[in-house]
Amino acid sequence: MEHSPQDTQPQLIYLNNAATTWPKPAEVLEEVAECLRQPLHEPGRTTGNGSLDYPSAAREALAAFFHAGPPENFVFTQNATDSLNLLIHGFAKKTGMPFHAITTGLEHNSVLRPLTALEQDGMISLTVVPFTDNRVNLAAIKKAICEDTRLVVMTHGSNVLGSVQDIRPIAEYLHANDIFFIVDGAQTAGHIQVDFSDIPAGAFVFTGHKALFGIPGIGGFFIADPGAIAITRQGGTGTDSRTLTHPSGMPVRFEAGTPNYPGIASLYAGIRFITATGQEAIEKKNRDLTRYFIRELKNIRGITLYTENPDLPVVSFDIAGIDNHEAGFILARAYNVITRTGLHCAPLVHERIDGGNGCIRASFSYFTSRDELSAAVLAIREVAESADTQIRPD
Amino acid sequence: MKEYVLDEPLTEDFLKFLENFGSVRFLEQLRKPYFSFEKEVFISIKGFVGDCNVEVRYKKEFQDLVADYFHLLLYYYDQGDRGILSLKGQEDTIRKKMKTRMDPGPGNGP
Repeated sequence: MEHSPQDTQPQLIYLNNAATTWPKPAEVLEEVAECLRQPLHEPGRTTGNGSLDYPSAAREALAAFFHAGPPENFVFTQNATDSLNLLIHGFAKKTGMPFHAITTGLEHNSVLRPLTALEQDGMISLTVVPFTDNRVNLAAIKKAICEDTRLVVMTHGSNVLGSVQDIRPIAEYLHANDIFFIVDGAQTAGHIQVDFSDIPAGAFVFTGHKALFGIPGIGGFFIADPGAIAITRQGGTGTDSRTLTHPSGMPVRFEAGTPNYPGIASLYAGIRFITATGQEAIEKKNRDLTRYFIRELKNIRGITLYTENPDLPVVSFDIAGIDNHEAGFILARAYNVITRTGLHCAPLVHERIDGGNGCIRASFSYFTSRDELSAAVLAIREVAESADTQIRPD
Repeated sequence: MKEYVLDEPLTEDFLKFLENFGSVRFLEQLRKPYFSFEKEVFISIKGFVGDCNVEVRYKKEFQDLVADYFHLLLYYYDQGDRGILSLKGQEDTIRKKMKTRMDPGPGNGP
């Protein structure tokens, strides 16, 4: 069996990486520890001699990683949900009048709930574009656009179906038509190469704790034109302290209060780990694992696969004769196989694929091994056969 | 949802007792024999025979009325057959309270 960097619980088979990757690279843990060993280097506030200016270093790493800049246009938040709230509500405030917004049936509640809140407040009218073959394309978006459409918010990669959307043509079209485009990259950043040098989206959202290998509590976004989003948070920035209005310069325009330095350090180290390992090597390993797992599941009677060719290492399935929560409980407690069950905060996807019942999701990372998947497949087979016996008693 | 750690491991005999009060599912061929218990409007229980850990979910509509139900199951199980009748009596009382709450009727309102 391959060894993960931290085998603190070698018996655990962790297949919940689409929620939070585990384990983290040793480099990430070491960087977080190093960050906390030294006094914090807080530009404009306190300077700890010898300690790294993690926010600036991480912004530069992010700019190089996503081929976007300037680095100051990378903003740190708590996570993707926090970023989406800031962007969606900030855009509505900046627009200042009711408008039409578009999103898709593939979205996570981190997109759906802020938009629904605005809709309930009479700030927007909302169209949810359905997906076809697990994807939403430009033609479907175009069809939904009307005269007062100002905003499109769309996932880059589905957290249930593992499908990656072709965002470049959509971004180009929306840019040409002056419609602000927010891309939710929570599931793609770190898993696949995202090159923003030729994708004219308004904002790209990421989180640190998934495929970027950071710790929970750090996320962010890149914004091409910061002026498109109103300031919705105010507070200390370490700059312009005499003025009682929040500064509008980047990145402090969207960052108030003491940042999450350990989180930023973890993100910085996570990006360096991916760069050193190679994005292609990570993609290849994830692809091989996903193909293997799907091939094996297809050989088990009673398995319904909701995705057979995912672009991301995400496999959603159900086992006949047993509720997904029960199956997840058994896998975790009897076999130490950790999956995620239920609706995965994506209720519209589940309405379409399983009638809203939810399903079991297994998701992998670079640290998942083939042996772990073999053991997980055996466990799933046992659960499926046992449930099958209940359906078809001898 | 609450997770309880019991003093003694769960037994198949306890599952037989549970069958008097709701539906029990038992998958005994698994690495650890799994069971679930479902009692509509009251609670659901998940666990493994031989384990001390058990997961209990209370139905939210009447959470305050059924919060002690799992403890009642354990208490009356220890009393054998007599316990079955006693617990059914307790259940009737709880159901009456539920009914009153759902349909207060004249003079039954708060």
